[in-house]
Amino acid sequence: MSSQTIQSNATSKAGHAAEGPMERFIYDDATVRKFVAATVLWGVVAMLVGLLVALQLVLPPLVNFTTESGSKPFAFLSILTGFEFLTFGRLRPLHTNAAIFAFAGNAIFAAIYYSTQRLCKARMWSDMLSKLHFWGWQLIIVCAALTLPLGITTSKEYAELEWPIDLMIAVVWLGFFGTNFFMTLKNRRERHMYVALWFYIATIVTVTVLHVFNSLAIPVSLTKSYSVYAGVQDAMMQWWYGHNAVAFFLTTPFLGLMYYFLPKAADRPVYSYRLSIIHFWSLVFIYIWAGPHHLHYTALPSWASTLGMLFSVMLWMPSWGGMINGLLTLRGAWNKVTADPILKFFVVGITFYGMSTFEGPMLSVKTVNALSHYTDWTIAHVHAGALGWNGFMIFGMLYWLAPRLYQTQLWSKKLMATHFWLSTVGIVLYVLSIYAAGLTQGLMWRAFDAVGQLQYPDFVETVTTLIPMYWVRVVGGTLYLTGMILCAFNLIKTWQTRPATYEEPVHQAPALAKTYQDAAQPASRLEANVEFGHKGDVWMQGWWHRRWERLPLKFSIWVIIAVATASLMELVPTFMIKSNVPTIASVQPYTPLELAGRDIYISEGCYNCHSQMVRPLWAETLRYGEYSKPGEFVYDHPFQWGSRRIGPDLAREGGKQSHDWHVRHLENPQQLIPQSIMPGYSHLLKGDTDYAGIGARVRVMAMLGVPYGNMVNEGEAEKAARDQAASLAADLEKQGGYANLKDKKVIALVAYLQRLGTDIKKAVPEAAPAAKSAAK
Amino acid sequence: MRLSDIMGQLDLATYPIIALVIFLAVFAGVCVRVFGKRYAAEIDRAATLPLEESTRPEGGAQ
Repeated sequence: MSSQTIQSNATSKAGHAAEGPMERFIYDDATVRKFVAATVLWGVVAMLVGLLVALQLVLPPLVNFTTESGSKPFAFLSILTGFEFLTFGRLRPLHTNAAIFAFAGNAIFAAIYYSTQRLCKARMWSDMLSKLHFWGWQLIIVCAALTLPLGITTSKEYAELEWPIDLMIAVVWLGFFGTNFFMTLKNRRERHMYVALWFYIATIVTVTVLHVFNSLAIPVSLTKSYSVYAGVQDAMMQWWYGHNAVAFFLTTPFLGLMYYFLPKAADRPVYSYRLSIIHFWSLVFIYIWAGPHHLHYTALPSWASTLGMLFSVMLWMPSWGGMINGLLTLRGAWNKVTADPILKFFVVGITFYGMSTFEGPMLSVKTVNALSHYTDWTIAHVHAGALGWNGFMIFGMLYWLAPRLYQTQLWSKKLMATHFWLSTVGIVLYVLSIYAAGLTQGLMWRAFDAVGQLQYPDFVETVTTLIPMYWVRVVGGTLYLTGMILCAFNLIKTWQTRPATYEEPVHQAPALAKTYQDAAQPASRLEANVEFGHKGDVWMQGWWHRRWERLPLKFSIWVIIAVATASLMELVPTFMIKSNVPTIASVQPYTPLELAGRDIYISEGCYNCHSQMVRPLWAETLRYGEYSKPGEFVYDHPFQWGSRRIGPDLAREGGKQSHDWHVRHLENPQQLIPQSIMPGYSHLLKGDTDYAGIGARVRVMAMLGVPYGNMVNEGEAEKAARDQAASLAADLEKQGGYANLKDKKVIALVAYLQRLGTDIKKAVPEAAPAAKSAAK
Repeated sequence: MRLSDIMGQLDLATYPIIALVIFLAVFAGVCVRVFGKRYAAEIDRAATLPLEESTRPEGGAQ
């Protein structure tokens, strides 16, 4: 026994080998201050846009309210609902992008810049990269704010920004931010990498992989590109990305934030460092697989769906590992929470994290998902996480940082507490009302009457029922926004009491020794045993892993391996196995005019309210028609399955209504369906179809494998489009519709809508296309 | 014969099972290692890193 004791002492001594020379350095807090300011600004913007889109769902009945005398006193509100550049379909992605990348994004950078420097005992490696990172990121946000309302979008959720901005993101994320971060790690003066740093590493590495692979697209023009993936594969890629954007942008950096700022605020170490190791690796490996839970009962092959479900359920434990570690860090210090609003924000935030990461796995179970998919339950789930976990962790961090960054006192502790209570009530009102809305709509869709018919055959009935609940959400969201504004006010007042020049304390720490004497490999603790047994025991003592935690490069590489392995194991079969997407011979590419119409559908963001995926569920097939087959989507670059039904599913819309109905419905939905909350698109009856650009679009599609044959030749596609438009416009007039619309965008859009879902009923064309068939 | 035809005929079902077994083994190994006594001292120091004011500032702390 004594020999073992000596050995372990020797181990720890050898572990802290000769230090390098003492070095002096100053932390860069100016960059942190910049990111904090940006977080607050974009937080207000993101929440304002959120309030606006929430209002857009409740105002239409008010706008259309007609008094007995025939006047519409609230018609002026239509500027909020019907203005071309601010329709719900264009604005909702602006809200999601602002909340995720502008608000949460800048907060993540503030957290990382502040904590990494201190955990590494080193200044950020390059002041120039810090500046480029900050300004580059803000530029990206401004580009998003300009392009999205203009209808410049890829329609892929949380990846809507078009390709030039995607390139900017890659450059800023990896070239500026990632490089700066990893070089800081390399030059650190604290050998052991604290757990927060692992989470930051996982974030940077995985977001890079996700962004690059999901954004692969062929540009048609500066403002338009087509995803290289189509249909089922595109759906799989999108939700591999989408769910992992949640995992590695909204979870891992926030766990890193929690692991640093909570101990600082509570003045206690994290509850169990061991638990943090176990849950970190489990989280990073398991999260990647969860994507398919967004695609249950769709045309995705069921093996992928089941895999996603199982891994999502398993994910509950690593996530709760984080929650447990966070909450139990406060054991013995709960009295501090009563006195400190910062700790209140953290505790409630972590609790919402626990709730969301329990609800998530539950929603991933197929049978639960059959009820929840496309309803507001998903929205409620998102907002419990976004407002509760992300928002509150950000607020706690901001209030903790402010006095230290501005070297003064917080202007008003009372206002901070008010913020906490207002926002908490706001979240509760938001989430409860939207849970109710989600369940109501889901249950109404599948309700049958005594005779076996749909209880609510008119879709719009399932929307009007929700309006009162949407009003409660408006109240909840307003409270949360008010809290955000109070926070901004408080921080600005705090900033105003800053000193004339900031103190920049000079810190000292020894550089790491150039050569590190790793602890000697321990001896086997076994007595007599076979050689293999001795080696196994030595391995079990884990000295080799201790080295990893000091080697950021090796560590990062293993994170990449974990993430990549998980990704490939799930994604490769989707692409490689032909039987996943059986060919349907009668499915043909969209005509050039229909393609133009599809691009208008994408540009206007119709997918934000309308799905295109009939699930093989009885209530669904009764309501919409034949369920959607994977082979129907092989030419859909990108896919348009959607994730929400504020309006009815459109997968089988083709042929259900006359052209005239569609034109009038698009012009002003309420003239055909008085209770509809859809905005009007009268500008589509005035704007001209871009015939000149159709050729380029068809050629890019052909490049991606869509068998357009002769259409790629100069002028062919344009001619075909004009011919089809003229024919459609003539039919429209015969039906009693508007005249002179043949060159207008609405004709292209109607052509597309009338095509949807009709191919499976068509005869197989006689000359089967010799070019590439369906599945890649 | 396209790649997707060939891939469809391979018996790939065993690989995920092997992967799962490996994952479970690694997980178990990490758990055993992390809760072992050897690691205790290092863990305790690592856990308190954020609370160290130990950069020996010349004037004033963080």
